[in-house]
Amino acid sequence: MALREAFAVALDTLWSHKLRSFLTLLGIIISIWTLVAVVSLVQGVNGYVALKIARLGSNVISIQQYSLEDMTDQKLFRVARVRNRPVSMREFDYLRAHDRLAAQVAASAGRTLNTILKAGVHSMTDVSVRGVTSNSLALASFDVRAGRFLSPTDSRHDTPVAFIGADLAHQLFPGVDPIGQSLTIDGHPFRVIGEASPLGNVFGQSQDGFVDIPLGLYRALYGTQDSLSVELQAPSPALLPALTEETRMLMRNLRHLRYQDADTFGIIGADSLMSLWRQLTGVIAAVMVGVSFVFLVVGGIVIMNIMLAAVTERTREVGIRKALGARRRDILSQFLVESAVLSSTGGVLGILLAYGFTRLAAALTPLPFSLPWLAVAAAFLISTAVGLFFGIYPAQKAARLEPIAALRAET
Amino acid sequence: MAGPPMLDAAPGSAAAATAPGGDVVIATRDLWKIYPMGGEEVAALRGVSIAIRRNEYVAIMGPSGSGKSTLMNVIGCLDTPTRGQYWLNQQLVSELDDDELARIRNHEIGFVFQTFNLLARATALHNVELPLVYAGAPAAERTQRALEALRKVDLFDRRLHRPNELSGGQRQRVAIARALINDPSILLADEPTGNLDSTTSNEIMALLDRLWQQGNTILLVTHEADIAEYAHRVIHIRDGQVARDEPTRRGRQAQGAPAQ
Repeated sequence: MALREAFAVALDTLWSHKLRSFLTLLGIIISIWTLVAVVSLVQGVNGYVALKIARLGSNVISIQQYSLEDMTDQKLFRVARVRNRPVSMREFDYLRAHDRLAAQVAASAGRTLNTILKAGVHSMTDVSVRGVTSNSLALASFDVRAGRFLSPTDSRHDTPVAFIGADLAHQLFPGVDPIGQSLTIDGHPFRVIGEASPLGNVFGQSQDGFVDIPLGLYRALYGTQDSLSVELQAPSPALLPALTEETRMLMRNLRHLRYQDADTFGIIGADSLMSLWRQLTGVIAAVMVGVSFVFLVVGGIVIMNIMLAAVTERTREVGIRKALGARRRDILSQFLVESAVLSSTGGVLGILLAYGFTRLAAALTPLPFSLPWLAVAAAFLISTAVGLFFGIYPAQKAARLEPIAALRAET
Repeated sequence: MAGPPMLDAAPGSAAAATAPGGDVVIATRDLWKIYPMGGEEVAALRGVSIAIRRNEYVAIMGPSGSGKSTLMNVIGCLDTPTRGQYWLNQQLVSELDDDELARIRNHEIGFVFQTFNLLARATALHNVELPLVYAGAPAAERTQRALEALRKVDLFDRRLHRPNELSGGQRQRVAIARALINDPSILLADEPTGNLDSTTSNEIMALLDRLWQQGNTILLVTHEADIAEYAHRVIHIRDGQVARDEPTRRGRQAQGAPAQ
């Protein structure tokens, strides 16, 4: 019964001290904001990456010098650096000839750092230059927007032709149809034969800054030491495990590995990419949740502080209420309700901010952001619980006040 | 210790001693209140025994430091005695715990303070209904009874005003309405006119007089002799003890006249 009184007093206090309440709640607001935003962000990005990987083809595996595990673990990488060998042209040819389960076998090599592309007065640096085989298009995520992709003839004869991404078309050939134009890659002349449709950004990183040239020519320009990446496509997702096994056996035979030896190459599939991704975002989410938890504790302490001040300020009010018959638990619940209302208000504000944030992110990026209801409910409950927890001490202090001492308080 | 107290007749309290137990609202026996103060013990009350019957109008008088405020607090169940017994309506309240005392304050005692002690941010109506909130009365009943109480002190029109929008006399009338809302056994008025001008003081005292005529028991704490004259009996407190307990002129007149 007295609870309704407690809520009325709590809302009245909150409203009559708007600025103070807001400042008090900053910690909670930021904490809940980051909590909810991070959860929805990770969920949105996960969904997006899953979509991208699915588009890349769930029936494609890639043979590379290192596995994903090797590349993401320093200790494993130190071992792998000694053990693994680059995937060679000869191995690619062998896989192409003997991998009977593969519908397509494509190879590529590439570099990005310090590449310089020029076309007339325009130039670009750090473009992803890739040597590819003509069947790479079948495995690629982009479509041909204009012109054509590299032909088998281009591959066979290492014709100096280039297929460019949308960024290059804009920056090197502004206002001009790039098809048929020429450009230089690190000083070597190429003719543009085709342009890809834009892929957009992933995490602010443009996916359209690439140029594809025949693989043989790439190796002639940049050397043959770099490992190839060989992509094999299974005719259907169901055959992917068989293809993976067959390819592994072929590679191991080719490299004369004994039964007990580890693979000296890496096989990367869509599922391993996804699980790595999950692991990465899991770490990010854990860190952010940890950070927001720290905010939450700080926010809770600030609330405790302001509630202690409120108890001091309203000692006389407590005295009056006690004189009129309020029991300890009435006063206790009054101040508990007040701190819970205060902090859950912060929670609601944080949720609203997170909602605005995800809407903004959804509008500015191709990521499918949404606010998970579970996160919203959890955030609200957590913020309320923080208020209750940190309100206990001040509320007890108020409840234990002696009626006469409280009535005599000079406030 | 239960039941009506057998009162030792203190000098000057002959009336109380002969009072039938069922008629006694307040009875104390040998009340002591000792405060520890800087390593020493200071006794604010040194064995106070008084009795107040239903529908009495009693003033407690004494200079500051006499212990009258302490006595008032003990009688109001805001404080507990160090020693001695205190019966309120035949209930031994000196032995009760905090929550039980809160219930007694809520049901049995109506406070009127010198500084009004209204909640500044609440309306007159809400201030008046506050004791009912803690009594657990339903909201509709609370509002209805509070409005009635405000009507009795002629403040119905001001029901939605906050204390700072009311005059001193109006505030004290709100406080009186609040004190009466739970139909208490006793109305405790602690210097009720201390913060009021003389005209307003007279109004408030007239109101208390009317309440007494309606059957309320009133205990008035004051240091002003002319205010004490409104009562029918004065208990003088000095050095924590009852110095004199005597009827006022009004009380003598009332005694002289046949009852009812």
